[in-house]
Amino acid sequence: MIGEKNFYLNIFQVDVPALDRLIGEALATGGGYADLYFENTTYGSLLLRDGAVTSGGNHIDFGVGVRVLSGEKTGYAYSESTAWEDMLASARAAAQIACSSAEVSPYGTRNPSRGEPNPQADRYPILQPWRGTPMSTFLPFLQKLEADVRSRDPRIVKVMVNLAFQVSDILMYNSQKELKWDTRPMGSISLSAVFKQGNVTENKSTSRSFRCGAEMLSESLAKEMADDIVKGIDDRFAAKRPKGGQMPVVMGAGASGILLHEAMGHAFEADFNRKGTSIFADKMGRQICPKGVQIIDDGTLRGNRGSLNFDDEGIPGQKTYMVEDGVLASYLHDRISAAHYGVKPTGNGRRESFRYAPLPRMRSTYMESGSAKAEDLIAEVPQGIFVDEFANGQVQIGEGDFTFYVKSGYLIENGRLTQPVKDINIIGNGPQALADIRGVADDLSVDPGAWTCGKEQSVPVSCGIPTVLIEKLTVGGE
Amino acid sequence: MALARHCLEYARQQGAEAVRITLTKSLMNLVGLLNGEVDKTSHALDRSLQLQLFANGRFGSFSSNKLDKEGLESFIREAIDTVKMLEADSFRSLPAPGRLAKDAVTGRELDLYDPAYETLTAEKRREMALGSSYYNSALRQEELSSRSEATQGARGIRPPVSETNVFSLPRIISEEGEYSDSVFDSLTLDSQGLEARHTETSFEIGYETTVEDAQGRHFSSYWWDATPRLEDLQLSDCASKAYGRAVAQQNPQSVPSGQYTLILDTECASKVVTPVLNALGGYSLQQKNSFLTDSLGKKLFPEGLTILDVPRTPGDTGCRLFDSEGVATREMPIIENGVVKTYFLNTYISRKMEMEPTIEDATRVKVLPLGECRTLEQVLEKVGNGILVTGFNGGNSNPATGNFSYGIEGFYIQDGKRVHPVREMLITGNFLTLWSNLLLVADDARPCLSKLVPTLAFTKVDFSG
Repeated sequence: MIGEKNFYLNIFQVDVPALDRLIGEALATGGGYADLYFENTTYGSLLLRDGAVTSGGNHIDFGVGVRVLSGEKTGYAYSESTAWEDMLASARAAAQIACSSAEVSPYGTRNPSRGEPNPQADRYPILQPWRGTPMSTFLPFLQKLEADVRSRDPRIVKVMVNLAFQVSDILMYNSQKELKWDTRPMGSISLSAVFKQGNVTENKSTSRSFRCGAEMLSESLAKEMADDIVKGIDDRFAAKRPKGGQMPVVMGAGASGILLHEAMGHAFEADFNRKGTSIFADKMGRQICPKGVQIIDDGTLRGNRGSLNFDDEGIPGQKTYMVEDGVLASYLHDRISAAHYGVKPTGNGRRESFRYAPLPRMRSTYMESGSAKAEDLIAEVPQGIFVDEFANGQVQIGEGDFTFYVKSGYLIENGRLTQPVKDINIIGNGPQALADIRGVADDLSVDPGAWTCGKEQSVPVSCGIPTVLIEKLTVGGE
Repeated sequence: MALARHCLEYARQQGAEAVRITLTKSLMNLVGLLNGEVDKTSHALDRSLQLQLFANGRFGSFSSNKLDKEGLESFIREAIDTVKMLEADSFRSLPAPGRLAKDAVTGRELDLYDPAYETLTAEKRREMALGSSYYNSALRQEELSSRSEATQGARGIRPPVSETNVFSLPRIISEEGEYSDSVFDSLTLDSQGLEARHTETSFEIGYETTVEDAQGRHFSSYWWDATPRLEDLQLSDCASKAYGRAVAQQNPQSVPSGQYTLILDTECASKVVTPVLNALGGYSLQQKNSFLTDSLGKKLFPEGLTILDVPRTPGDTGCRLFDSEGVATREMPIIENGVVKTYFLNTYISRKMEMEPTIEDATRVKVLPLGECRTLEQVLEKVGNGILVTGFNGGNSNPATGNFSYGIEGFYIQDGKRVHPVREMLITGNFLTLWSNLLLVADDARPCLSKLVPTLAFTKVDFSG
């Protein structure tokens, strides 16, 4: 939700002439570009545990970050106060990077994203504001969700529900005299349950996270999450570790998008390529997937956790095709890497807070649907594994080796799902896994969970994928 | 101090029955290098006030970094309103006064503050960072060798090596380094008279290096060091170690899936200790989400395995005189000769579990040696054959069952020697089973790590590749 300009200037008690003076100080030692990032974030949380909402709190984070670029070098400092003297001290600290004058290249004119970005878009309108709504209003949602979950399965011994919300007012200004502002909401609910069957204990968890207001706390969402938490619990108790080794893997639609995030998304972030470390550093314009595959990083999905009206450098949110018809079409750029490669920034300059300089980061990363049917992809596999629930992933940029942790799935035997499996890690190599895609189904789903990417800083992202068959990955097992 | 006391009193006046306040301040400076040149500098000053309120039998936790008096008073009033709308929780209270730390007065009792911090300037930091680069020394060597540009290839440089092997080593594609230093100061007060302070300095150096072999394949690795005292920081060899570790990754080969002896080096051995500590945490136990439920006093680990908490060693990284409740830390066994000796129970969880409180969490974990080996090389020689794991790539564990599966990288070991690197492999198992197959614990823990875990060796571990 975007307010009026003066609303933001008032929050931070600044005016444009003062911003110009501050930029002047930041550039006084010879820097070629400077920007300011003001942030006022309020957080709220409520925790239901042991049947009652007995824990909660509010948190305030306020400050301004000053960045100075000298060529591709970055000086950064921040202040938790917007008093002039404090901001001035930060500007002078950031200016230290520019010991000698180094021009900052202007970024190019070629636009790697699809279509011109819309700087007027409001991708997260708020119907019921988090701020100003008494927290007591939210308690019934948590209590009802807990009661609903408990009523579904007598094996449940513990239920925990956590509601976390935040609203960030952002004001950005730079040495090109671009002034941008935004208010970014985020609501997240995580639900976990512990089940006991005989002497065996199992846990399950699910989450939802959206850029929206408190209207997200609906009965339909509570029902959907309660359905999720008990779904597949019988299989979880029956699950076994498979025999490990290399085998075909069918990635179920939705959360399997973690494959794209880890196997290629990070390696497409242009800072790794600018430094030459990425395994995709010399593959621009080359075929890296089978023809027909489109992979996208998108900041424009309405209400999505990864969406942005503007990125954290003031570049409008946009939709970027990283892979078009199987060909590597674009890296993900911030201003620095865009200048390095001579293209327009793609709106991927993101940061955790005013405490950090922006880096190229993903938003919502997904693959477009193909034409196959999910059941046909499974039927193609004589011996392999199907996976659909994940915990976390990781990648080694230089080598391209990625992993993700599977919470649940099934063996595939003679083209049919058979024995449930759980708690296994899968490992592969990014370029090889992309080349090994053998089929893409027509069922794209973007996962609604609270995914967070932790590359140096934590930023909210999302991921999605249709059901995909990969010829060969290494599966952990006994 | 005056601001914290004022907030404490103000919260009491506004209706809080009990209050705990923690004020923190940290100052950090960083110099980042890319290929031997300064690539970024950062200066960070953080202040925060954390407020824990007990009102009407209810509890809430709040924080703000807007520290003006009027703003904080408004924040406290709203916080108390928020607490009052929560549900009552009779288990919440401050710790018993007798358990609180009384010896953390100046914050410097543990000798973790280095006055050398005050002598550092921006120029000195740059100088230290630039002097630590291996890329720069490699470049100097390369210039001295006067080899033609044509022999150096399209990008990257070769390391400073002898004439005989200069062309057999891979190029450095990227060397990223960071030098940073910080000072951290915290003060915790509560409404029953607690005043506990902790101050420490920290100096860190870290490098990540990517190399490219003759076939264009990339291999990367890292090394780092951290210490409370500047004079102890290993600045000079950090970058060369990162380079050496990256070079050692060349020419990986696959190893057939099967059971092997697992050796974990000191850089990654804590990966199998942390889940055990988490499983002994009060919140996990109380929520029945722990594979060590009902384990207190039971011998679930092998004879001879002893893990201690040693939180009060002067000058030792990570040591603290008190936990976040202000409760005094003390040296104690966590596991002694295989027997579980403690859970980590703060005041709240201990009351919920109807057990005596201990400490919120382990502070400075130390795994004692087991067997005659003291170093990694001695362990390799003793083990003979197996897989040495030097790094993890992703993976996770199930806290309720103790099942785990992790991606690994390392070396295949035969007759105590590294035969070739391995990667794209996984280890899978259960923590209780893994620990029951413990073979050796060396005595070579890195002091810069938060947990003192030496090289470990386990038999019969499932590897997939």
